[in-house]
Amino acid sequence: MTDYLILKNLGYILVAAAAAVLLLRLVRVPTIVAYMAAGLLLGPVTGLLTVSDSVHLLSEVGIALLLFLVGLELSLDHIRGVGRVAVIGGTVQIALTALTGWALAAIFGLPTAEAVVVALAVTFSSTVVVVKMLGQKGHLDALYGRIAVGMLLVQDVAVVMALTLFAGLGGVSAHGDDGETDDAAAAGADTLGGSAGQDLTEAGAATELARGDMGSADSAARVADSIATAADTVATAADAAATGASDLVIAVATAFGGMAGLAIAAALAARFVLPRVFGWVLSSPNTVFIWSLAWCFVFILAAELMHLSVELGAFIAGVSLAQLHYAEVLRRRVQPIVNFFLAVFFVSLGLQMRPAAALEHWPLVLAMCAAVLLIKPAIVLATVPRLGYAARPAFLASITLAQMSEFSFILAALAAGSGMLREEILSVITVAGFITIGISAYLISGNEKLYDAAERSGLLRLFRATGTPEEAGEDTELKDHIVIVGMNTLGRRLARLFTERGETVLVVDSDAGKLDDLEGDTLLGTVDDLSVLEEAGYERARLVISTLHIEDANSLLAYRCVQAGVPVSIHAFDTSLIDELRRIGVDHLIVSKHAGARLIARRLREEGVLD
Amino acid sequence: MEGIAFLLFAAAFAYGVAHLFNVPVIPALLVTGIVLAVSDTLPVELLEDTLVLGTTMLLFVAGMELNPKRTRAQRDAAIKVGTFQFFALAAVGLLSALALGYALVHAAYMALALTASSTLVVLRLLQRRGQLFEPFGRLVLGVLLLQDLFVLLLIPLVMDIPQGPGALLINVVAMAAMVGLATLVFRYAAPWMEQFDQEEEILLLLLLAVLFVFVGMSDFLGLPLITGAFLAGVALSRFPLSGMARTHLGSISEFFSALFFIALGALIGIPSALELVHALALTLVVVLVTPPLVTVITERAGMSSRAAIESGLLLAQTSEISLVLGLLGLIAGQITETVFTVIAIVTLLTMLLTPWMTTYRVADWLMRHRPSGVTPQRRSVDRDRPRSGHVLVLGSGSTGMPILETLLASGADILVIDDDPVVIDRLRDAEISCMRGDASDPELLREAGADRARIITSTIRRPRDNQRLLEVARGVPTLVRVFDEDDADWIRELGGTPILASHAAADEVLRWFDRTFSSGA
Repeated sequence: MTDYLILKNLGYILVAAAAAVLLLRLVRVPTIVAYMAAGLLLGPVTGLLTVSDSVHLLSEVGIALLLFLVGLELSLDHIRGVGRVAVIGGTVQIALTALTGWALAAIFGLPTAEAVVVALAVTFSSTVVVVKMLGQKGHLDALYGRIAVGMLLVQDVAVVMALTLFAGLGGVSAHGDDGETDDAAAAGADTLGGSAGQDLTEAGAATELARGDMGSADSAARVADSIATAADTVATAADAAATGASDLVIAVATAFGGMAGLAIAAALAARFVLPRVFGWVLSSPNTVFIWSLAWCFVFILAAELMHLSVELGAFIAGVSLAQLHYAEVLRRRVQPIVNFFLAVFFVSLGLQMRPAAALEHWPLVLAMCAAVLLIKPAIVLATVPRLGYAARPAFLASITLAQMSEFSFILAALAAGSGMLREEILSVITVAGFITIGISAYLISGNEKLYDAAERSGLLRLFRATGTPEEAGEDTELKDHIVIVGMNTLGRRLARLFTERGETVLVVDSDAGKLDDLEGDTLLGTVDDLSVLEEAGYERARLVISTLHIEDANSLLAYRCVQAGVPVSIHAFDTSLIDELRRIGVDHLIVSKHAGARLIARRLREEGVLD
Repeated sequence: MEGIAFLLFAAAFAYGVAHLFNVPVIPALLVTGIVLAVSDTLPVELLEDTLVLGTTMLLFVAGMELNPKRTRAQRDAAIKVGTFQFFALAAVGLLSALALGYALVHAAYMALALTASSTLVVLRLLQRRGQLFEPFGRLVLGVLLLQDLFVLLLIPLVMDIPQGPGALLINVVAMAAMVGLATLVFRYAAPWMEQFDQEEEILLLLLLAVLFVFVGMSDFLGLPLITGAFLAGVALSRFPLSGMARTHLGSISEFFSALFFIALGALIGIPSALELVHALALTLVVVLVTPPLVTVITERAGMSSRAAIESGLLLAQTSEISLVLGLLGLIAGQITETVFTVIAIVTLLTMLLTPWMTTYRVADWLMRHRPSGVTPQRRSVDRDRPRSGHVLVLGSGSTGMPILETLLASGADILVIDDDPVVIDRLRDAEISCMRGDASDPELLREAGADRARIITSTIRRPRDNQRLLEVARGVPTLVRVFDEDDADWIRELGGTPILASHAAADEVLRWFDRTFSSGA
């Protein structure tokens, strides 16, 4: 009945990926490159594996979920205070880099359609690579980290628009019968670039506006509106540009109309439907999780129906859920699934790579790498200081963005699928992406040394970036605080008592309802998740207390605190737990049952019932 | 994409229904799948992939949850109860299936499917009711663990019955090799993997790589893939790795198992009348045989009759493992679709019945109506002396000791009631007058003179069990230890004096904090 093919495929992919990641991390290769190397090994090199339908489906789901995740993150306050530089700098960067790519492609004599794809491919930087590398360095909250992430978010919006455009063009090419349609499509796309950029600024500005009242659904609505306006403008532009190809106009208009429709539906849902619907199942985390995935797939299907990209639908679904106050919890639950599917995706990307074809075009590969690794950072470095930032964050941010994006591959694959791009140019793009992502990982990990070198050599003066000291980053990090996990009667009591003593208290619970009526710092999430603990700043805490009635969570928390050398006090809610917690090395055990019994004993004595 | 989307929508619907009616999600998913199959919209390949991946993930996670430490003090009792229950129910199941006219191999599959109880359902129930740490909760966990182990060890054997004893022997050797590999991973690889706690992506990848290496090995050795998946889980069940893994694998397994049960439901299809009748008959076997069986052995193992009854009720359902077993048999062509359908429907029905059967009301009713004299347990040390003016101590356990010490020091006249036989033995050795039994039993309370006592202290586990006490002991000052403020209010309403252990504990934490931190700072 079944041949277990999927297990065999997945087995090869995951075992090879794990082996490659383990080996290559010795030379600090980021996981993405290791995945692709594993794919390269399994496919083109040894021929052990070809991409089966099931694997293809899994990687498709992976990319959709990645965009869902990116959408979910859109209301994070990582871009706090950097809205202006993100929008203006991001837009300039996109425009100039795309222009560079375009010029490059023109020099190499590529046809217009292919030039558009190459231009876009070099423009976008990888959110996944940047977020992962900066996260590892703990620099996501550094000024340069926030600038980079802000610009990446602007890029993401642009990616979504580009995807939409390609979906529209793809629709035409599918039933277009000669090369002319393709050229017209490219011409349309070219004109669109400019006006889309303008409206993009608006969308970005709306995002920035929304920053202030993150909790409300307004932000989603406003972003959606701006995107919709942008879409309309672009559609009009397309109209004007491609008078000869009415098919194209209809397709592009449908695409952008559909996108606007989805965005509006998502905004309305985020405001009126989702909070109530998800509020009802809040007490059942698994239901919330499955429902949010289902919600994602509603938009994926809707996007497919309107001939839009699956990724776009997932992204919009993510944005609509990002406005809920437990989006962060959801994000943490979706992350492992994305990690799983993404590994499959990147390995299968390696599987599909045809390095031989790219070799024939090696000058183009080199030129693209140069554009991404040298010209793109130069553009950022020339722009950011003019928006009021010092040389250091500008330089570091520019280094951070010096790679191609996984979306470059997706865009290229989409274009190749619709016949706009020759297979060999697709290989060129993937190989260039592979190289730039690999080198960029090294650049980011050594970015501070690079800055010192650049400053000494006087390179920065070329960009008229001055070495004025970096603005003092506001120190919002909690320190010497007391983390209390679990807001039951014990946790609440402790929070109150410690607050009354003037201690800084951060309370953590996985149930939003239990945090609602609390004053002071609260954090929503389960402490099983290390990232929650890190967000709670447990390593800098004076004391971590868990009042939970969950054995596994308590043991793991105790273990991690002991490993980190943080004083920890754990609720041994059953006496059978005492030995194990002691073995882990907990500083203090809260044996509430004994405490209660001692209180009873004291009462018996005090009240003189015993004579 | 559409296929996955439909499966996911169906799952979302089932989760909503389960949430609305407060039933376990697995039967809800199965029913949704059955209904979905009628519309016949799902691509077969996707269903197959989902079933294969879902089975693998399900068994992997089941193996990872297999932590013998959970049973702790109840290990011996769990082994006794589990072994007896397993073989007794297997025998009853086999005979019933044969009586229904099934061939031997089919009957063997059915019997094996009936023996396993659902870890997923029971664990969630115990968790939700905060009973994981009561002795009977531990016992039940131990029994579940043993059942999983038995079933998974027996599956390869049952599957190879037709091939004769030679194949069986090879199987046993192959199994030993796999267990050896699992032991090595548990000992050496698992601790090594802990260093990746900070790098969730790598950790996840390593966990999955171990899973697939095991699956590949078992395929190579001719064992069913689930054996590999399960043993991979066991190999990684070491603390703290298992805790780290749970966060990352939790979402993935939830996702795949949700789709898995939908796909499985779709595979069942609409059962025929005959299949339904057979399923009902076997459901009755599970529901009527398991509780008395487990109750009797559990009481023999020294538990109170209340705990024994609750254990029996909790174990009266078949497992997700039963579904996997049926699926494997079907894929291997060893059982017919009828056998598979019957197994699946039994699982569906018994899982639906469990939340209802394990309510307080049912246990209470059984307590009052159980045949008396099965196991005499209410033996007071000095039944002849009528009690009054004494201090009645309910639930001394290990956590009531401070109270006992105070009372003994004061020379007060005390009587202790506890349901733990070990505690009772210890009290008797110390010549403290005591009675064994359930503190929520009004008859016992009256016998202990609860209505004539000078004062009563209660440190029993479940706050709600104090209701009977407070009714019987109206007018007698009663100090009840509780943890939650809500329970405290409730005790106060009933006329008792709540002692908030949580507040007492918070005060102690503060004292410790002052001693440890303030002096230095």
